[in-house]
Amino acid sequence: MLIPRRVKHRKQHHPGRSGAAKGGTKIAFGDYGIQALEPAYVTNRQIESARIAMTRYMKRGGKVWINIYPDRPLTKKPAETRMGSGKGSPEWWIANIKPGRVMFEVSGVSEEVAREAMRLAMHKLPMKCRFVRREGGDI
Amino acid sequence: MSDNKLVAETRTQFGKGAARKIRRDHKIPAVMYGHGAEPVHITLPGHDTMMALKVANALLTIVIDGKEQLALAKDVQRDAIKPVIEHIDLVIVRKGEKVTVDVPVHVEGEAAPETVVTVDSQTVQLEVEATHIPENIVVSVEGLEAGTQIKASELVLPSGATLVVDADTLVVNITQQISQEALDAEMAEAEAEAGIEHEEAGDGEAAEGDAAESAEGDAPEGEKAESEDA
Repeated sequence: MLIPRRVKHRKQHHPGRSGAAKGGTKIAFGDYGIQALEPAYVTNRQIESARIAMTRYMKRGGKVWINIYPDRPLTKKPAETRMGSGKGSPEWWIANIKPGRVMFEVSGVSEEVAREAMRLAMHKLPMKCRFVRREGGDI
Repeated sequence: MSDNKLVAETRTQFGKGAARKIRRDHKIPAVMYGHGAEPVHITLPGHDTMMALKVANALLTIVIDGKEQLALAKDVQRDAIKPVIEHIDLVIVRKGEKVTVDVPVHVEGEAAPETVVTVDSQTVQLEVEATHIPENIVVSVEGLEAGTQIKASELVLPSGATLVVDADTLVVNITQQISQEALDAEMAEAEAEAGIEHEEAGDGEAAEGDAAESAEGDAPEGEKAESEDA
């Protein structure tokens, strides 16, 4: 699973969720991709789960790219704890995704296979997504 | 290629307010510059421009006040979600002039079985005549074996085109497919790490796969069990 090897600060503020993606909105490596349509925090477990779903469906053909990285820690206070006494302990690693971001890409498979593989992967992600493909003019 | 004729109007009002008003009318604000001329701010028809730019490196004929001017789209700003073009930078070109453009690579044919074809460079930078820009560079991978690498120097370029990128740039890479055993082992490891559990995994998977696959799948199942024991 994707986890940063070392971070500057163990506990960070929650990243902002407003606005749209500034970059990474086009397909860069593969032929087909999954694009986020809503803002969300995507955990490393969700990323891995989506990757497994795609790879399992595509079997041995094709290649998968993951364009996002869960580099932000989120903390959680233990259950039934009174407020105060400092910040909770790190619980998740998340990627802060804004609408428009292409999160996964695949190549080496037909569009039919890519569509189904990505449909399965989208069910593992916490936001509304869509299937996108490389266009002739998108260079 | 220059049959993409777009009738443009000169813009006199600038800024985001004016630009938004243009977009509301289903038009696209654009700027045209090059060859030492003063930049010209224009408005292009929305749908026609979008259709013309479906093709990479489309040569456009811009008609301003009855005068025709050849131009290439240097930068196209698109909305990340909606299928809308927000702004276009056009660069003026002349007939016979050589321009540097990124031409998409198109892979044709089927490589040898048990291989994966990866396009490492989706585009190749070429110097070509502005009026003869190829739509794409076709690379045939028909019957190529694993381990074959197609470099930029091996591409078949149209006449008059010269390569701008390094001749050793990897364009297409053909690699061996991962073996079923290795894939199963990797998936099992990844699923164990992610804490994914299959409910009645044996029954469901056996029903899904065909006879050949299930025959192949027997060995990895055994290996998976061994690795879990270890």
